[in-house]
Amino acid sequence: MKNSPPVAVLQRIRSRYGTALLVALALVVMSIIVNMTPLKEQTWLRVLFGVSALNFTLRATVPLVLGALSGILCERSGIINIGIEGMMLAGAFGGFVAKTSTNHWPLVASLVFSVVVAMAIGGLMGAIHALFSIRFRMDQIISGTVIIILALGATSYLYNRDAIAEGKFSSIPIPGLAQIPVVGPVLFDNPPITYLALILVVVVHVGLFYTRWGLRTRAVGEHPRAADTVGINVNLYRYVNTTLGGMLAGLAGAFLVLEAVGQFQEGMTAGRGFISLAAMIFGNWTPFGALGAATLFGYTQALQNELLLAGVTQVPRQFISMLPYVVTIVAVSGLVGRVRPPAAEGKVYETEGSE
Amino acid sequence: MKLSRITTLVIFLTTLALLLAACPAPAAVPAADTDAGAADSGAAGEFKVGLVTDVGRVNDRSFNQSAWEGVTASAEGLGLAEDDIKYIETQDAKDYADNIQQFVDAGYNVIVTVGFALGDATNVAAKENPDVFFIGVDQFQGETLPNVAGLIFNEDHSGYLAGVLAGSLSKTGTIAAVLGTDLVPPVVAFNEGYVAGAKSVNADINVISTYHPGEISQAFVDPEWGAATAKQALDQGADVIFGAGGITGNGALQEIATADGAGETVFCIGVDTDQWNTVPAAHPCLVSSAMKLITPGVVELVNMANDGAFPGGNYFGKADLAPFHDFDDMIPQELKDLLEETKAGLIDGSIDTGYGN
Amino acid sequence: MATAFPIASLQRVLRALFIPALALLAALLAGAIVMILSGDDPLAAYSGLFQGAFGDGKGWARTIRKTVPFILTGLSVALAFKVSLFNIGASGQFVIGSVFAVAVGVNFEGLPAFIHLPLALIAGIVGGMLWGAIPGFLKVYTGAHEVIVTIMLNYVASLFAGWTVYAGGTQGQTPGPLWDRTAGAISETQDVLASAQIPWLFGPPYRVHYGIFIALAAAILIWWLIFKTPLGFEMRTVGHNMRAASYAGIRVNFTIILTMALAGGLAGLAGGIETLGLNHKFAPEFGGAVGFDGITVALLGQTHPFGVLLAAFMFGALDGGAATMQFESGVPADIIQIIQALVLAFVAAPLIIRMIFRLRQQTQEEAASAVSTSWGGS
Repeated sequence: MKNSPPVAVLQRIRSRYGTALLVALALVVMSIIVNMTPLKEQTWLRVLFGVSALNFTLRATVPLVLGALSGILCERSGIINIGIEGMMLAGAFGGFVAKTSTNHWPLVASLVFSVVVAMAIGGLMGAIHALFSIRFRMDQIISGTVIIILALGATSYLYNRDAIAEGKFSSIPIPGLAQIPVVGPVLFDNPPITYLALILVVVVHVGLFYTRWGLRTRAVGEHPRAADTVGINVNLYRYVNTTLGGMLAGLAGAFLVLEAVGQFQEGMTAGRGFISLAAMIFGNWTPFGALGAATLFGYTQALQNELLLAGVTQVPRQFISMLPYVVTIVAVSGLVGRVRPPAAEGKVYETEGSE
Repeated sequence: MKLSRITTLVIFLTTLALLLAACPAPAAVPAADTDAGAADSGAAGEFKVGLVTDVGRVNDRSFNQSAWEGVTASAEGLGLAEDDIKYIETQDAKDYADNIQQFVDAGYNVIVTVGFALGDATNVAAKENPDVFFIGVDQFQGETLPNVAGLIFNEDHSGYLAGVLAGSLSKTGTIAAVLGTDLVPPVVAFNEGYVAGAKSVNADINVISTYHPGEISQAFVDPEWGAATAKQALDQGADVIFGAGGITGNGALQEIATADGAGETVFCIGVDTDQWNTVPAAHPCLVSSAMKLITPGVVELVNMANDGAFPGGNYFGKADLAPFHDFDDMIPQELKDLLEETKAGLIDGSIDTGYGN
Repeated sequence: MATAFPIASLQRVLRALFIPALALLAALLAGAIVMILSGDDPLAAYSGLFQGAFGDGKGWARTIRKTVPFILTGLSVALAFKVSLFNIGASGQFVIGSVFAVAVGVNFEGLPAFIHLPLALIAGIVGGMLWGAIPGFLKVYTGAHEVIVTIMLNYVASLFAGWTVYAGGTQGQTPGPLWDRTAGAISETQDVLASAQIPWLFGPPYRVHYGIFIALAAAILIWWLIFKTPLGFEMRTVGHNMRAASYAGIRVNFTIILTMALAGGLAGLAGGIETLGLNHKFAPEFGGAVGFDGITVALLGQTHPFGVLLAAFMFGALDGGAATMQFESGVPADIIQIIQALVLAFVAAPLIIRMIFRLRQQTQEEAASAVSTSWGGS
């Protein structure tokens, strides 16, 4: 943390994400008004701002934002990661195996242990990705593809369908805050990984932009030659960041198995890793941007459910389901503000000593 | 630099050692293409039963598994050897015909094909092989072939019973259904029956139901969507939720089981089999299940094929409500009576669910 | 082609085959280890696999039938690779191609087959081309990376295709435009009219249609396009060095859009052939997973059209034998997926293969990566 008092941090966040924060604030105010007044009898207002929609949004956001953070860590250091989906799935499977083999432990101990295992497995997948990309100079997009296919095949092959995980994380209301109307039940009455994900957004943001590690990571991703010249071990940074990224994807898997569902299912990530990728890009490789994008995607998913639940079927449901994907295409096409990836991404960095 | 080199070296040596350790294996691979295995299984018995799953796994805790349990149960009853029953898990919808042909070629007498999507392939194979019996689970037969029995169910009937139960239990006046995709007809039938049943006991009841938004390959295997959607329905005041859609629906049941008031003010209803047995995690809220009993249906048809009394055409399996198990004391006697009356009415046709009209 | 191979080019071919062959071997070995570790019998599995793929006429028929779409989706990805474009969108293009082909195939009753069938196939190609051109267009004019756009378009394609055959559900939704009104609650199209079906080369129970010749012809055509035409030269130049190509007066933007459109057209043709030749209808369960496998096939084939033929054949055999493998040995077909992932890994990183088999020397061609990509694109 050098020369960055909290005020400066806040200012920076505000200037960069001013619009996004304003929109979020408007949403919160609207939802409080709608849910506290007779306005909630209006179908359309309820669909857009009901507590159920907000709860669903947050829940759908958690794996997406964790996946996006995973991508950010890798890509900021110059390693493209399209394998988030595979890392997530492997993490979910690891967490499930750990949980089923520790069912007899006290619930919390077993769950925490399983989260650790899920993150370790995710981290292992990240390390393999880094090894492929750096040591074996494999094309990074292909390496990511390998990670995905491998995770799908291996978890299906090894999955014991008779194993049953007993118990999952339950909500921990935060005293005081949870009593705030509307906002309380949505934001401050959640299970632990949800809180952890939101905290990690801040941690990764501060880490990336206000620590020596973050500065170096970004240097490695933007201009590895210069970083090398000043004595930064480029490939070490890439290994570490990609492994950390894998661990975050593994945490997203842990969320699915240990907090959200309580069981494993083949292919249960169901494309969430790919949408994380989109959230990362839409969020311009920044943690808060990714959070905003993930929330938007989560919100579109909530909406399509809300519309069906409310019996609104004028628009074929398939077209509503397309929204997150179309929004992403629009976003990467630069129609909503241009995004810029780290400059040295996807390129193998070779020092004289690496052969 | 040093660290990363050592790490890669260690990882690499391990891999290398593993690969070298297995080196003798490949030499034998090309030589092993005799069909000793096929000859063995071919000679084992006279009555053989094969099963082709829909895309998915045979032990999916859902309809593939129920059908396979029917095959194993009938094999036990008929005293068949373990080698006389086999399954092939379909990987791709294009492979239905191939996988059926696999059993035809191996001389199987009865072939069970699971899921409406296999209907066309099953009927084509049946016409080509008139001496093989086919059991098509969930396959409605438009024309009657003597060697194809479509094992179908009035899902709308058991859905209707579930609706009567849900409508009677609900205190909030809102009930919900979390469903697999409407691209699959039986799921739609369950829901239609459910809505009609609920309206029959409470005309003003608010039934909110939603289908999985994704493609068909994801719709039944996305438990997190099921769980999150169930939560969404709870947030909207639903107090009885019908989870109908394979693993997706199971996700919904498990979510409700951990909700506040589960089993006291909030209930869930399962689908297909008695899910009290298949999803133990749902016990806190699971009052009953809207069943379509695939397993006994398959057993009956296999036995009939063995006896030479195979019924071609549509064969209706049992569609019913599962026992209440731990909730038996909670269900008032009037409601039990109502359900019995309704069941009788559905069977004799005096009650119409409105589905398919 | 027709002239005899000179020794030098034969050597080159052998050298090109070397790494992929070793990669396959290593992947089968690794697959065997996984099976041993989890208590399955690799010998029984591989013998079942071999028997299922080549054991008899039906085995060969399965293998050939599976090979056809792999050839075309592999060519689709390989062609894009030649221009340094990564087409992950073959599965979406495949699905759109299927829908376009079936739309023509179920309509226009009374057209003679020699008009109807080509028309339906062309519709499939056009559908795929449109879908493929979108990422090319966006890349050129907005800088959007084709990988992310094609991934997203895969989802959009699958949802769109689902809508076209949608039976309407129960909540009062309008059914899709291609839905078969006689299918009750089932979401699918009618059967393709006989005049638009690709005829059988070997009829049931073999069910091999003439599509294999279309696929082979496409491979030769793409080889000719890449290596024997000025356009192919431009494509390869753009793939090699975009800036240099631009200085040399090559229309880089045009080349990128055209390549993506052609790649999409190939995947769309694959969809059309599968629909008109094999499935004879479209339903949501006929998804485009085969498009994703096109990536592996293209890389295994070293992005050369004839390499793609071999790789597609190999993948066709792996998939064609999978069911028999399970039938004979009880080993679930997921193991095939693991093997395919490992093949991809080993082919994409020849260094790993060289380490496993302790090979030293490295040719220059292999040192150059097949693709070099970053989100930044141009």
